[in-house]
Amino acid sequence: MPPGGVSGYAAISARVRAMYSTALTAQDLTSLSGTSDFIALIGQLKSTVYGPYIESLKDKELTPRRAILQCKRRLADAYDSVIHMAPEHARPLLAQLYRYYEVDNLKAVLRGVVAGPSWNPDITLWDRVQDVLFPLGAMTVLPAQAMVESGSVVSAVELLKGTPYEETLSFAMKRYSAEQNLFSLEVALDLDYWRQLWREAKRLAGQDREQALRVIGSLIDMNNLMWAIRYRIYHQLSEEELINYTLPFGYHVRDEDIRAIAAGVDISSVVARVYPDVSNTNILLDNPQHGLPRLEVELKRFLMKRCVATFVGNPFHVGIPLAYLVLCDLEIQDLTVLIEAKSSQMPDEEFRSYLLKASLAKG
Amino acid sequence: MFFPKAMTEIELIVPSKDLLAVTKTLSGRGVFHQADSGYSGAGGESGANTWLEKTTAYAALERRIQVIMQVLNLDEGQPRSTNIEKMIEVEAVLPTLERIEQEVKSVSDQLAEERKRVEQLESVLRQLEPVADVDVDISPLRNSHYLFSMLGVIPVANVDRLQTSLARIPYVFLTLRSDPQKPVVWLAGTRSNSDVLERAARSAYLNPLTLPDGYEGSPAQIISSLRKTIENTQQSISQLKQELIRLGDLHKEQLLTLLWSIHTSRILSEAIVRFGRLRYTYLIVGWVPSDDLEILTQRLKLVSKEILIETLPTKRGGHNQNVPVALQDSKFLRPFQMLVTTYARPRYGELDPTWLIALTFPLLFGAMFGDIGQGLVLAGLGALMSSKKVKALRGMAGLGGLITICGLVATFFGFLYGSIFGFEDVELFGFRIHPLWISPIHNIMQILTVAVGAGIVLLTLGFLVGIFNAAMSRDLGHLFFGHNGIAGFTLYLSLLGAGGASFGILHIAPHIFIALAILSGAAVMFSEIFINLVEGHRPLIDGGVGTYIIQAVVELFEVVISFLSNTLSYVRVGAFAVAHGGLSAAIFILAELGSPAHGVVYWIVVALGNLFIIGFEGLIVGIQTMRLSYYEFFSKFFTGGGMRFESLTLNPVDDE
Repeated sequence: MPPGGVSGYAAISARVRAMYSTALTAQDLTSLSGTSDFIALIGQLKSTVYGPYIESLKDKELTPRRAILQCKRRLADAYDSVIHMAPEHARPLLAQLYRYYEVDNLKAVLRGVVAGPSWNPDITLWDRVQDVLFPLGAMTVLPAQAMVESGSVVSAVELLKGTPYEETLSFAMKRYSAEQNLFSLEVALDLDYWRQLWREAKRLAGQDREQALRVIGSLIDMNNLMWAIRYRIYHQLSEEELINYTLPFGYHVRDEDIRAIAAGVDISSVVARVYPDVSNTNILLDNPQHGLPRLEVELKRFLMKRCVATFVGNPFHVGIPLAYLVLCDLEIQDLTVLIEAKSSQMPDEEFRSYLLKASLAKG
Repeated sequence: MFFPKAMTEIELIVPSKDLLAVTKTLSGRGVFHQADSGYSGAGGESGANTWLEKTTAYAALERRIQVIMQVLNLDEGQPRSTNIEKMIEVEAVLPTLERIEQEVKSVSDQLAEERKRVEQLESVLRQLEPVADVDVDISPLRNSHYLFSMLGVIPVANVDRLQTSLARIPYVFLTLRSDPQKPVVWLAGTRSNSDVLERAARSAYLNPLTLPDGYEGSPAQIISSLRKTIENTQQSISQLKQELIRLGDLHKEQLLTLLWSIHTSRILSEAIVRFGRLRYTYLIVGWVPSDDLEILTQRLKLVSKEILIETLPTKRGGHNQNVPVALQDSKFLRPFQMLVTTYARPRYGELDPTWLIALTFPLLFGAMFGDIGQGLVLAGLGALMSSKKVKALRGMAGLGGLITICGLVATFFGFLYGSIFGFEDVELFGFRIHPLWISPIHNIMQILTVAVGAGIVLLTLGFLVGIFNAAMSRDLGHLFFGHNGIAGFTLYLSLLGAGGASFGILHIAPHIFIALAILSGAAVMFSEIFINLVEGHRPLIDGGVGTYIIQAVVELFEVVISFLSNTLSYVRVGAFAVAHGGLSAAIFILAELGSPAHGVVYWIVVALGNLFIIGFEGLIVGIQTMRLSYYEFFSKFFTGGGMRFESLTLNPVDDE
């Protein structure tokens, strides 16, 4: 039994199971996707567990972006609750998992700085950026507004002195200065984030470690594989660049797989080995424009199944809270698809296949 | 004394020519609370916009001066007495400010440039130091025909991945200096593979060392040249710093005068923005404490002969939510005002509970912490805090008075309990210290009963004050039928009476109290209907009758439970008095164990134990007293929610 064991995980396991029971079911998702438009969708969302978050928005403030932000607040509350209840030794891992959104926020801030002010003088740059930031509240070290208002990427990054991002960005900034492209900064941030998350998972012992490596490793598998494929197909990076921009670890994906993709072997054979359940990879990769997002959806469904499976068996380990938080995130992704689809009046057949949970029920 | 300061609403109509003088008079006395009257009258909007623009311009100027002063390391100091005859003209001060700003900026930019240069050179130096002993001219490596070579730093996490990415070509990779974060490495290969090597190095974030122009030779020679350049640059930095000090001395007075004049102009124009603009006059609305009204009106008439002043004294009764609340000035009451305002600020028509808390808080504290010695120590500590003589305690000076009074009352209770530093029944300076009343630890039931009795008295007082407040605000519904109104109070007393009669304490038939309790209970239970009836609200109940009855029964149950818990909560006063004696006894047992012969160790343990009691128990008792005051006592009568009186002030030392 890992440190924490039954006594350490009894409360959090019960709490997480109670929270998990409030998750949207596949039927809920199907019902939400059947609504006529954005307003109807919001109306129906108010009767779900997201109701209190959506209801805090006044009608005149209601935009798709703000609705998504409110949904994310529920995920933020879930993280707060889980991290505070977790046993001491498991908190660094959960906190690092939560940092994913901070890294995303940082990228959004830098993109905002590069994009510059809006053509509409009534809307400040910060107004535009803050609506896309994950609501981390006090759990962030980013001086986001000051960064956005600093006016340049160099000045914005200077404001990160003393934060965990200073060191990583100090290397990447040399390249940014030469290339004037955020790609180098974003890759450096991503690699650093996943390396630290993996390190935290490996620091655990016993069943905690086993379960953490399973959930975190599966997340890394999906990201690493999609990076490798995108770098090769879209960015057409060289073998050495592709290797340097990916990670040598994961749960099922081995370094040889990534190196094989980098060296130019058939991608579908690698995907078929790692994800035997994912069919038609060849067809998907024939048309990367549409195929890659579909492949990503397939991999996310696989991840979702793996997280759901974590709830079966011994409940006294870190895998349960980890899996719950990942599932929560995937649920928000489904809601994001729905909100964006409904607000742009997209026909059902165009977005339904991108819903993770609703399609899972059909399957 | 028992209410916040009486307020008078004041409306002024001021001719435009006297605007500045009147605004200065209003802001100079610290007795005028401004209300927003900036509505759009004839030509009002454009007038308000002009003042708004001026305010923005002043704020921008103020900020610019503050930035200059920050660069020059000048302290803004205390606000200066400013007796400006007219507002600062932005255009008039701009040239002077721009000249100083330019002078300072030119030096500070040079300084920043030189500092950056030193940083860059030191970075190159750090990378070269590990290879200082290589006696080879490294400059040709930069332009080698056959060899690709790169010296630089790389994130330590990327080292393995870089080597993996180069697996299919020949290369040499050496770590020249190990570092947990930034190792210095050298990567080399054939020139024919330079594109692969370059891509791999770039994607692994290997930052190559770029030697500044003009540095050639072996690493040792370059290091020597670099050090010399750094030394020269440091000298230049020192000179620039001296120049900034000189500029600071030169412009200090001018900057300070400008800063505070502009600050004053900003405050005045901010106030004027909120005045109402008529065609030739301005309308000013606000509140003045009635006691200061006469002096203020006299001064206003002195500075403006044509000013029209209309005053309207404000009554306590009725709804006064928009009247600002200034509490009475009293040095003695100030610490207790802090306790009250931490909970809430009284409304204008509400009884200010400061005087009540000034009586009850020290009493409750003293009863729980009764000890002559410890009380005196606490009082001494409080006096020390108030005196601000100890730097470390200055931050808590505001609490000093409260602690002193609590300590003195604890001393008084110490005499009642016969306890000095935990010792009971001892002889001191020829006097035998006997309890003047009782020793809590030996009379536990008695002290607990007295504590509950004191609680009943305090809660009764709370109910009475609550009823008075409701009557003052003409809130008849809550006055008669509220949980803390007459119905609630009758229910509380009748429940107490029924209890007293049942236990034979009161010689009155219990069913009289039971009948009263049923009547008043029914009034409390259906208070919502009665209150709606009195206030004329319809419908009388929300939702169905069945739901309402269930809700009313539950609410009545909750009210009765809260009466019980509020009363029993005061048991803690007696319990802490007992615990205080118990804790002292434990310290003496420990001291006895350490030194049965009452040697030095015994007294050390007793001294440390007393310090522990003063610190630890003092804190806990303080928190408990606050809890009793806030939750049991205040909840019976104190609503709060008053608006703070914020006087229009130019700066604290300014007097017109």
